[in-house]
Amino acid sequence: MTFIEETLEGLDISVEYPDSALTGIDAQAEVSVEQIRPLSRTLFYAGLFLESVSAIDLIADEIIEGVYLFNHYEQHVRLKITMKTDRTTPKFPTIGDIYPGAVWHEREAGEFFGIDFEGSKDKRNLLLPVETTFHPLRKDFKRPEQAGKIQ
Amino acid sequence: MFDSQENSTYQLEPVEDNQFVLNLGPQHPGTHGVLRVILHMDGEYILTADPVLGYGHRMQEKIAENMPYTQILPYMARMDYLAALSFNQAWVCVVEKMCGYEVPRRAEYIRVLTTELNRISSHYLWFGAFLLDLGAFTPFLHAFADREMILDLLEEVTGSRLTYCYFRFGGVSSDVDDSFLQGVQDFVEHMRSHLKTYHELVTGNVIFQMRTKDVGVILPFDTWGYGLSGPVLRGSGEKYDVRISEPYSIYPELDFEIPVERDGDCLARYMVRMREVEESLNIIQQTLDKMPDGPVRSKVPKIIKPPAGEACMAVETPRGELMIHVVSDGTKVPYRVRYRVPSFGNLSVFSRLAKGQLLADALAVLGSLDLVIPEVDR
Repeated sequence: MTFIEETLEGLDISVEYPDSALTGIDAQAEVSVEQIRPLSRTLFYAGLFLESVSAIDLIADEIIEGVYLFNHYEQHVRLKITMKTDRTTPKFPTIGDIYPGAVWHEREAGEFFGIDFEGSKDKRNLLLPVETTFHPLRKDFKRPEQAGKIQ
Repeated sequence: MFDSQENSTYQLEPVEDNQFVLNLGPQHPGTHGVLRVILHMDGEYILTADPVLGYGHRMQEKIAENMPYTQILPYMARMDYLAALSFNQAWVCVVEKMCGYEVPRRAEYIRVLTTELNRISSHYLWFGAFLLDLGAFTPFLHAFADREMILDLLEEVTGSRLTYCYFRFGGVSSDVDDSFLQGVQDFVEHMRSHLKTYHELVTGNVIFQMRTKDVGVILPFDTWGYGLSGPVLRGSGEKYDVRISEPYSIYPELDFEIPVERDGDCLARYMVRMREVEESLNIIQQTLDKMPDGPVRSKVPKIIKPPAGEACMAVETPRGELMIHVVSDGTKVPYRVRYRVPSFGNLSVFSRLAKGQLLADALAVLGSLDLVIPEVDR
């Protein structure tokens, strides 16, 4: 039984094992939006650290895919968790109260993709100016004509 | 496109009587770059610290979505200007992984040799700047004189002094000659003897010990909760180094230690970095001894089109784990590039560490995290 199987036991998540020599990902799983909070709590107590919270705009399918990457300091397994949300009103539950480091990652994903991380106490923009409301990493983003002009 | 929201601004008013708001930065010698920290103070003590980022933000991830794979390479050095070669290496390795390009042995050795030189130069700049934060000026001059030797060596092979763009897909841009290798050999010998001066000057100093010991202690839960990596993590007792955990290039063939300290304070982080310099010297000596002959660049197509799919590649930069996640749709520009930069996680723990500290100690903590702000901002 691998470390990941042992950790995720009883969570009803089907894990795939891609070729890590080719992709650098040791295990991946797609979860539903409701599963991410119990899952990340399990991962936190198993000692996995958060590498990144981000997203991919799959404009052809009209969805935004959240990509969470976890790793472990001793077991060295990169675990990729993905989940899908509707592109018009993207929403994910926050994991910022479980992983304190996730707050900044969620602020960044929030401003770049317009994702609402529900329950997050800090939804301010992180890297863009606080007044900005456009989402540059969306595939249909067009550079505003007066991008430099911020009130 | 832009509108002001009520909850989107930063709290700048004093919360209670006897308290005040102190704005640190964006231009401040202690922040090492354009970082602004809003501090709520009670006298000399910090109640909350709220870092404000984005002053050097360039939207690197969007730039990468609009460019062929080759043209993204020079942007790497602009993220972390102190460890440009590590960032070079991450990008060429992730593309080589996706496309399956072979890298000649000599090129791998040159890559490791130059990256480790770059690591030492980065640690020396940190050493000088950190001690400057603590009020010591002399170590800075020693560190910069030695760092200058590395910059001269690297300038000889790469052509630039800081923002190197030396690695290519399938190798390096130009071969190194014997005078460079001799220069590196001389540098290693010089450094092994000169490193003692550093320790005599700084490590045993009583004022330095008192300024750094038990200051900014990182608790075990915070290491993985905030996703720390690099010397900041290894100063807290975790033996995690990408060069060992996910070996890449020729690191499995080399014999080196991963320095770990248990205390988790500023002094532990200092000791980890100083011991890492010694290990880097060991690695450089081994690459010099084993340097094979042969070509330094394999043949790769002019237009790079990785097959549809994704790849993650992590490398150990002087500041910690850099991970690049590339999603390709089979065209000549990436569909999505995600940079997981080490300083991002290392800076996010700062608010936790600064709470309840004296202002002067918080600046020591900020210095000990070894931040490069353009890397956080991207």
